[in-house]
Amino acid sequence: MNVGRLCVKIAGRDAGKKCVIVEVLEGSFVTIDGETRRRKCNIRHLEPLKEEIKVGKGSHEEVVKAFKDLGIEIKEKKSKPKTEKPKKQRKIKVKAAAEPKAVKKTEKKDTAKAAEKKSEAKKETPKAAEKKEEKPAAEKNEVKAEKKAEAKKPAAKAAKK
Amino acid sequence: MVEGKRKSGSKRKIKVRVPSSKSVTQYKKRKPAKAKCAECSADLKGVARVRATKLKKMPKSAKRPSRPFGGQLCSKCTRKEIVRRSK
Repeated sequence: MNVGRLCVKIAGRDAGKKCVIVEVLEGSFVTIDGETRRRKCNIRHLEPLKEEIKVGKGSHEEVVKAFKDLGIEIKEKKSKPKTEKPKKQRKIKVKAAAEPKAVKKTEKKDTAKAAEKKSEAKKETPKAAEKKEEKPAAEKNEVKAEKKAEAKKPAAKAAKK
Repeated sequence: MVEGKRKSGSKRKIKVRVPSSKSVTQYKKRKPAKAKCAECSADLKGVARVRATKLKKMPKSAKRPSRPFGGQLCSKCTRKEIVRRSK
């Protein structure tokens, strides 16, 4: 088992794939490259073949070229760009019974607000309150008068005709 | 008295303690036989031994070893086969 020896892997998920010994490590281990991944491997898991290639401890691309010369094409795996998984959003069920409760809460809030307003109105001086009431009443009277005049106008036009 | 269909022994019996503190025998289907090597008929390791319904829910990597002839040949016969084909 020397550097450049062509082998077949006979164990693991890469079994049946051809590879080259790139580096001899301590004990019964070697570094292999080729159709398999570039990795450390036990000699027991390799079956040596007759062929030998001139390959040093270079990059994976050099090994790919050497394999091409032999007539073995290595398919490169293209890793996909990582994308985030779409998050599942929970569907919120709207219960019919839940609605009145919400209404009650709002009612309570409304009543509380109304009570506060009342208390504020009491605090204000009675004269100011009277003035406030007088103004809208006068305005209302004016509006009513205008409406009556408008109602009369079309009636008068119809009479003329 | 045991029902007639349960007398045959084709189903395995499991004793279960029920919430009412009684022990009851439940009758369940037996496990399928161990997977064998197609060449030397040795028991295969790493092959799931469950019913088809459970097998359906399992991931592929848990069902058989992920190497060529995984789940068909044992590791020894796989090596022999690969060496034979390479030469």
